[in-house]
Amino acid sequence: MLSRTALKSPNARAVSLRRAFATEPATSTSKAVSELPPQSRLKKRRTVIATSVILNRSPILTRTPTLFEQAFYAYQARIRRALHNPFPYDFYFKQGSLLETRFNMEERKRERQAFGPNFVSEDVVDPEKAAADKAAVEQLALQEGEGEELMPRKHAADLSDDFKSLDRRGKRNLYLLLQVEEDGNSVWRFPEGGIEQDDFLHQAAQKDLHAECGSHMDTWMVGRSPIGVYKRSPKSTAEAEQIVFFFKGQIMAGQAQTYGELVKDFAWLTKEEIEKHVEKDYWDGVKDILSDH
Amino acid sequence: MSGVLLSSNRAKLAIPPLTSGRAYTVKGEQVGDPKKEIIRRVLYPSNIKNRPTPIGTWRPDIGRAIQRAIPSVQAHQTIERAWLLHKRHLRKKRDAETARKFECMQEAMDELYKLDPKLYLEANRSEDPRARSKAEMELMKTLKTSEMRTLAARIRGLFPRELRIPTDTPARTGWNYEWKPFPRPI
Repeated sequence: MLSRTALKSPNARAVSLRRAFATEPATSTSKAVSELPPQSRLKKRRTVIATSVILNRSPILTRTPTLFEQAFYAYQARIRRALHNPFPYDFYFKQGSLLETRFNMEERKRERQAFGPNFVSEDVVDPEKAAADKAAVEQLALQEGEGEELMPRKHAADLSDDFKSLDRRGKRNLYLLLQVEEDGNSVWRFPEGGIEQDDFLHQAAQKDLHAECGSHMDTWMVGRSPIGVYKRSPKSTAEAEQIVFFFKGQIMAGQAQTYGELVKDFAWLTKEEIEKHVEKDYWDGVKDILSDH
Repeated sequence: MSGVLLSSNRAKLAIPPLTSGRAYTVKGEQVGDPKKEIIRRVLYPSNIKNRPTPIGTWRPDIGRAIQRAIPSVQAHQTIERAWLLHKRHLRKKRDAETARKFECMQEAMDELYKLDPKLYLEANRSEDPRARSKAEMELMKTLKTSEMRTLAARIRGLFPRELRIPTDTPARTGWNYEWKPFPRPI
């Protein structure tokens, strides 16, 4: 496999190694040939299998409801409020207690919000008493310690466009993309590598991921079957056609670490951002595998 | 609602109706501990039908409230249809995406079958969650108890417990970048 041997012997040339250590399909034994569909016997070009991992950071945040959804939920809440049983307030709150005063104030506010400001009949209350009630409730809030402040939904990484951050774009699916040196050009692609003799495909995919991105990530491979395939057409007729099988992985913790001269950079990108970075042919093969949101 | 049903049952059995106060107290006299009366009133609403009760019936100004909540029958029906249409759009979009992904998976498996039957067979195999590979058995002999628990926690073929559900606001600590690697045999 490319990067594993590159680590052991740093002097070895990178590009030819990948092709050399990638396995060809098992067509040598006669038994295997007879089991195969007839077309493969007639195949003139060699094919080389490679595995790739589409590592996904699933959404951290829930989606924001659209304006229509918000309006509909508010409408349904108003109807529910109009129809539901009256609340047994004297069971839950002691008569004349501070908690009852607070509940009444909050409930009137909610009623005004639901049905309009002139729906709730104004009680004839002494303005001094009302002010005293309000002050007492505020004091209670201070005493109770209203609760810790929640974190904002937009992270600092969103504002600074830090593509390496795993906190960026919490509502979307992020995928790991690597920038590699290939025949002199730098190309963005998913972590990839060949397979060794005894490995199954999903095992080879995991080993490739560890080789190219390090093992400081808590990942989980979703099943043993590939989720997509891409045929990389060879530059010249002499070379073998490379068939890449994609496997899905989920990341739960940690961060990618790239080493070696081949892998120059990595990024965690959404589907639209991947389209901008990746080559057109590769994108057409990969776009249906990725999640839209 | 349920109060009406209860009262009709009691009428059939010829049992006197429930009263909120004790039978031997004079009307208007404080009983002392109103808790029991409150609980009784909450659980078994009074059967006087033309008076609104704390539970088991509508709120007293329900007519006005409904007028405010629902603009008109036609408006309500339009809103309902719009919502169902919106849900349909979302459902169709989701189904189309799932169909595209499934087609990619099918294409991949077809290619694999054409290429190498042995690998295809292995990719198709369903995993036994109780099975332990040889490498795992060897590793377990060398581990401490806590490490063995961490190793056994992740079950083959089932999703890991570290997968988080999306929340409304992110965690206070954010993403865990300093995760200590735990080598699992592949």
